[in-house]
Parts: sequence; structure tokens; C-alpha cells
Amino acid sequence: MVEGVARVVAADGSVAWLEPEPGSSCGGCMSAALCGTKAGGSRQAAKRFPLANDADLHVGERVVVGIEESSLLRASMVAYGLPLAAMLTAAVVASKIFMAGDGAAGLAGLAGLLLGLAAARLCADRLSIRGELTPHFLRRALAGEDCHPHKG
Amino acid sequence: MHDLVLLIVAAALVNNVILARFLGLCSFMGVTTKLDTAVGMGMACTFVITVSAVGDWALQRYLLEPYHLDYLRTVTFILVIAAAVQFTEMVIRKVSPALFQTLGIYLPLITTNCAVLGVCLLLVEGKMGLVDSTIFAFASSIGYSLVMCLFAGLRERIALADVPRLFAGPPIGFITASLLALAFMGFSGMGAN
Repeated sequence: MVEGVARVVAADGSVAWLEPEPGSSCGGCMSAALCGTKAGGSRQAAKRFPLANDADLHVGERVVVGIEESSLLRASMVAYGLPLAAMLTAAVVASKIFMAGDGAAGLAGLAGLLLGLAAARLCADRLSIRGELTPHFLRRALAGEDCHPHKG
Repeated sequence: MHDLVLLIVAAALVNNVILARFLGLCSFMGVTTKLDTAVGMGMACTFVITVSAVGDWALQRYLLEPYHLDYLRTVTFILVIAAAVQFTEMVIRKVSPALFQTLGIYLPLITTNCAVLGVCLLLVEGKMGLVDSTIFAFASSIGYSLVMCLFAGLRERIALADVPRLFAGPPIGFITASLLALAFMGFSGMGAN
């Protein structure tokens, strides 16, 4: 189980909205200002996700949420692997089998990338319906707890 | 096809981005404490390196070379990489918000990964066609991901081992990395004939 710490930013009856806390290494990263993963950043706000509020969570509470390793791997394969495989296959087939020039191979690669993205969307919807992309509530975070329990 | 296989083996193993060319060392040490984060970073990097390599190749061939603007290469490539990262983030957010919430954390970090720029600059030296350049970039990034995953697996095991206090943490990480680099030296010369 991949664990992460999130903060409750809104609680509306049976649904709580959580915002993931940035990793502990973000504070020391030279590109922290660029990437916007620091707390309160617009990118963090975009990553807010709903969670069933069975544990009676309140705004400001920190909780530990988790997602299966296999789900993370599957999500990576769908988001990156599928479009990339389609793009490479289309470009290589156009170039090596149909002996197309660079321009035609590039267009074939672009078409493959778009097809791959469409396929990724279908697969992601299927994963989402099965609930594989939704983090699960594990426990309330202890004071000072972060997502790197083995560090130090 | 034989040439393609040789190109893939050379880019992924013989001239590995991390252990032979020493690029992307910041993420190599920083994101490999856990296997799952290494896999996520590796996959994201693979996608961005390959996509930005296509864009960089096109700009180099149709803009920088014909107009003798080679001195703008580094700046142009950095712009393409940043655009590719933004494009990827936007597309993933559009394609599936749930996927974006799960994977989005790694994307902005790739902009500052020197392995991406390094691979794109190596493409220029290679003077290859579009497909060969794309395959080279893809294979290089697969080599990058492979080493990230191997090293993360080793570090997870080391975290459970009884390491002397003096060597605990980064020192034992660097020693492990050097042993891994020695192991990859075994690939040097492969396919030279």
C-alpha cells in the first residue's frame, strides 16, 4: 500500500475533500518555487479529491490515505505506457514497413499518440469505475507523521 | 530491424543515461527511496523524454540547422521540454482527473531533470532520422527507468539491513550506486562489432 498524508479542506456531510500534503523533500528542492507542490499552491488545489466521510473527518484534520501499489503501476501504464506504445508503433510501422519519410512517420506517430490517449481515457474510466484510482482512508495522521516512515 | 535492436541495447544498457553518462543523478538519489515512487518517476520521464525528443528533433532539423541558430539550441530544447511537461500534465488532467490526482506529483519535477535535456542534446550529436531519434530517446529513458527501479529495490533492502551508523543513509546509497555502475560496465563494448 502506497501511503500519503492529506489534509481535510472541506467536509460536506458524507463527503470530505482532501488536499495532499507535499512530500518532505519538497522543502529542500531547488525547484520548489517552480513546481508549485508546496502547500496552498494552485497545483495542490487542483489535486483535491473527495473521500467518503465515514470517519467523521473535520476541516483541518490530517489523515493518512493509501492506494494499492498495483493500482499505481496500472495507472502509470495507462497514462504513459499506452499513448507512448501507440505512438512508437505507428511511427516504426510507417517508417520501417511502409518506408515512409520523416514527415509521414512523424504524422503517423502523432496519430498513434492521439489514438493512444483516447485508449488511455477509456482504460482510466474503467479503472476509475472500479475504484482503483481512489485513495482509501487508512487512519488519522499522528502529530509529525509524514509519508516517509522509514527515513532517517 | 537489426539496427533498431542494436540502437535500443546501446542506449538502454551500454550507454546508460545514469550509470554511463551520469545524467539525472539528482532524481537517481532523491526519488529512489521507495520502489513505487521510482516507478512513477521512471514512467513519467520515459513519456516526457520521448515526446520532447520528437519536438526537439523537428526544431533542430527544420529551424536551428537551416537558419544557423545552433547557439540557441539549449534554450530552445529547455523550452520544448517545459512545453512537453505542461502538455502532458494538461492532457492527463483532461483525460482523467483521477489519474492526474494519482500521478501528477512527478510531472513538474521532470522539467528540471537534466537527463531529459541530456538525451535531447545527444540526439543532435547522433544526427539520426526521426524514427531512430525517437527510438533512441525511448530506449535511453527505459534504461533510466530500469536503473531507477533497480536502485530503489536495492535501497529498500538496505533500509532493512543492519548498516553501521557511519555508513547509514546516503553513504551506503553512494556505495551501492558505484557497485551498480560497475555491474553496468559489463555491457561496455557490447555490439561494437
